[in-house]
Amino acid sequence: MFKATRRLLSAAACALGLWSAAAQADTITFWVNAPMAPNPAAPIYEEIRAFEARTGHKVNLQPIPFQELEQRLFVALGGGAGPDVMAIDTAWMAAFADAGVLADLSERTRPVAAQYQPGPLASGRYKGRQYGLPWYTNNVALFVNNDMLKAAGYSAPPKNWAEFRAVAKAMRALGPDKYGLTMGSGRFGVFQLYSFIWQNGGELIEESGRVRVGEPAVAEAFALFSDMYRIDKSIPDTVLTAQSWDEVFAPFIQGRAGMVISGDWTIGSIRRGAPNLNYTIAPLPVGVRPATVIGGFNITVNAKSKSPAAAAELALFLTGPRSVEAMRKADRLSAQASATTPEALAALPANQRPFMAQAAFGRPRPNVPIWAEVHSSILAPAWDASLRGLMTPQAAVQKAAAEINAQMK
Amino acid sequence: MKAEAPTLRMPGARAWRTGLLYLGLFAAFLWAVFPFYWMVVTSLRPESELFARPPSLLPREITFEHYVGLLVGAGFWRNALNSLFLTVVVTGFSILVSLTAGYALARYRFRGSTVLPALMLYGQMFPAVLLLIPFFLQFRAFGWMDSLWALALVYLSYMLPLCVWLMRGFFAQVPFALEDAARMDGCTRWQAFWLVIVPMARPGIIAVATWSMIHAWNEFLFAATLISSAEKRTLPLGLSGLIGQHTTDWGMLMAGGVLTALPIVAVFFALQRHLVSGLGAGGVKG
Amino acid sequence: MSRTGDGQGGGGAPPTRRRAPLSSVFETGRGARIYPYLLVLPAFVIVLGVVLYPVVAGIVASFQDLTLRTLSRGTVSFVGLRNFERMWADPVFWTALRNTGLWVGANVVAQMVLGLALALLLNQRVRGLGFFRAGILLPWVVPSVVAVLTWRWMYDPSVGIVNEMLVRTGLLQEYFPILGDVRTALWAVTVESIWKGTPFVMLLLLAALQMIPRSVTEAAQMDGARGWRMLVFIVLPQIRLAFAIAMILTLILTVNNFNAIWLMTAGGPLNSSEILFTLAYRYGFERMNLGLASAVATVLFVFLVVVTTVYLYLIRLRDEG
Repeated sequence: MFKATRRLLSAAACALGLWSAAAQADTITFWVNAPMAPNPAAPIYEEIRAFEARTGHKVNLQPIPFQELEQRLFVALGGGAGPDVMAIDTAWMAAFADAGVLADLSERTRPVAAQYQPGPLASGRYKGRQYGLPWYTNNVALFVNNDMLKAAGYSAPPKNWAEFRAVAKAMRALGPDKYGLTMGSGRFGVFQLYSFIWQNGGELIEESGRVRVGEPAVAEAFALFSDMYRIDKSIPDTVLTAQSWDEVFAPFIQGRAGMVISGDWTIGSIRRGAPNLNYTIAPLPVGVRPATVIGGFNITVNAKSKSPAAAAELALFLTGPRSVEAMRKADRLSAQASATTPEALAALPANQRPFMAQAAFGRPRPNVPIWAEVHSSILAPAWDASLRGLMTPQAAVQKAAAEINAQMK
Repeated sequence: MKAEAPTLRMPGARAWRTGLLYLGLFAAFLWAVFPFYWMVVTSLRPESELFARPPSLLPREITFEHYVGLLVGAGFWRNALNSLFLTVVVTGFSILVSLTAGYALARYRFRGSTVLPALMLYGQMFPAVLLLIPFFLQFRAFGWMDSLWALALVYLSYMLPLCVWLMRGFFAQVPFALEDAARMDGCTRWQAFWLVIVPMARPGIIAVATWSMIHAWNEFLFAATLISSAEKRTLPLGLSGLIGQHTTDWGMLMAGGVLTALPIVAVFFALQRHLVSGLGAGGVKG
Repeated sequence: MSRTGDGQGGGGAPPTRRRAPLSSVFETGRGARIYPYLLVLPAFVIVLGVVLYPVVAGIVASFQDLTLRTLSRGTVSFVGLRNFERMWADPVFWTALRNTGLWVGANVVAQMVLGLALALLLNQRVRGLGFFRAGILLPWVVPSVVAVLTWRWMYDPSVGIVNEMLVRTGLLQEYFPILGDVRTALWAVTVESIWKGTPFVMLLLLAALQMIPRSVTEAAQMDGARGWRMLVFIVLPQIRLAFAIAMILTLILTVNNFNAIWLMTAGGPLNSSEILFTLAYRYGFERMNLGLASAVATVLFVFLVVVTTVYLYLIRLRDEG
């Protein structure tokens, strides 16, 4: 009897021990944008394995093509399902946070907040709470075709607005099929404009919700480019149709346009389309002050995750100090503060350095839930309209401001 | 086909007519095929030539690198297998179900025989993109997430109204005198149906089969919503993966498009002759 | 099949004690009456079972305040007609409505006319028919996404082959941004969707043409009909059901054709190619307001239902008359 009881007790202890051990090892699902996991040799897999080894949790990694990511998340999260951890574009942060589908990570982030670059970290904040941790960051710089620059009579890329416009004009003069700058249409064009709006001292939407899109500073930025197209004719007609980055780069790659405002994703395209192109990456020209627009991806946690602790651990792990090396291997720029030290900069490939050097002037886009609509359906048409001369830049931005105000209600 | 009635026209007129016919066919052919030709050409051009100006009708250089890139690894074959499974299941069921349903609706005037097909058709009229969440919720409630069978069911439900309608339309043209004759000879309804009626409706069946095949093979929206794991992705999902976040691998995308279209083209080419039936072999007298 | 006489099933006791096949249940009486319903049942059940709930949910959604926010917080509420009012008040809605009218009209007319012409062409005895037919059906077979992107590539303002051809043939002086001009964007996309959709119409009509009993055409010819007369008075009436089906299908497919416009112009530039469907998508996935999006979708739905019902009614009248 005694022996049986002892056996029973030890079996129970065993079971309890097993049970609690099992409770600590969670399986979490992680949706990542497919370009970060193109093949089994991608750095992300190594990171995941390291995480699993350290914590005992299992991670189910699902790469999702970028085209499908936002819609799938919307459907899954709207249906109360979805992954535990997800990588999302910084531009989507406010909308998802406002909808309440992201877990509040403020408490867990507080101890390590100083590790991150302030700009990217701010992009993961909404209404003062931290909902996402910056994974990698990018910004836009000026790509310049050296041959065309020299032929136009300049020895260095333009440093301010006046030079910028002059260089473009000089490049245009090089031939009937030569242009100074290639730009995007609709939301691609307006994305390129943001940096210049901030450079001119303008603002879009303040944290308080005040809409400043209708101000003259913003109109001037619009005017700079629409004049370059309409008056100087230094932008080719592709500006009317370019609705993908490929189409924006094409004139630059073809050697027809001497400059393009874009980010590090351009490098791969140029390498594939025109491997022998002689170009440099320069900081954006400076207006009243320097500024560039920040993009990138944040790691977030599903508010309805069944394993919130494990999920948060993964988020912190992936975006932590390890990310400097991991992102370097993935041809991305880590959002860690330690990635901006001179040593880290020196370790970067040469063509990534100019972006990092600008990082201090990076500004995220306004963190308002309706940003997607503002960007695509309000500001983009304003650009399209002023580009075509259908409205003056002043009228266009004022109309946009009125529309944004109407939507913010 | 048409009996040659004695003609009072000049012999040249017939040649003129035939000439015009060929011209029309050729023009239609060129119009239909040219974009496909352009797809093939783009898929065979090397990267550096893709953005060359002005574009040349014939590629200056040919490379198979895009095809190699697709066919070697990248899960292309797995996607193709999934698509094949889906297509076979959907096509098989839709032929079977629409055949019987279409026949019944055309042959028998029963209560609701005109309302029923219309009712089924109405489900199609709501823009699918806004039904994604209800569909998602519905299948989640059944526990059918990430299932190719569930996807097949969705496709069927979208295909059947059209298929049933089509079959009804084709069966309406079939002379049922033949069926009655067969039954007089001692066949049951079932036998008469399969042995006599169905062969006559072959062109209709081919049309339905082709429609189902193509739709099941090429559909993207619902596949993207209901399939989440990489092992179950279909070909169109694989293609969408080629549209990158920042740039599109145009050469590979076009190669993918060619490869995705080829099997269906091949199958259709094989099925084509069955579209030509007229009412041969005996036919109906008087 | 050695059965005695008239195909009557095993109702009475046959003297030879041979078991009647199961299917004989359907030969007479109640079996015969439910036979057609049984044949139709699978189709009916599958379709309604799968589609009913989502469609009803979709329509109901247009009366609700349904956004990602309310969905995830569980605060979805009924708001009556507010979504419809908002929709009405949006000037883009009216632009989209007008564009949808043009889009649908051009597509349906062009596809039906061209489809019929092609079907008639391919119904002849011609050498190499299979080759021509396969080629003409190619647009339909290509996946929609790839077809649209290929056309967008062909319309490109700097390397597009369409531009190149127009310049080479002298119709244009220089490359023109076809998809970037508010006057041409919608029509350029229409060309692609006509290219893509016509083969299907042709297929339907061709199959119907092939099924016209030879006896009918022969009899007509003996009565002296040929050419135009043959076409209008003999052939067309024979295929009128297939024609009606093709027209309705084309209508539905065109109204619900999302890929073509979205991937080529995203409704732009400046909403010049915005149709109701792309507008609904924007409301739903850009503004994340599914209630508003469903309102637009419901409008589309009601329109299609009404048009189809009226059309069907008219055809039925002619059928009986």
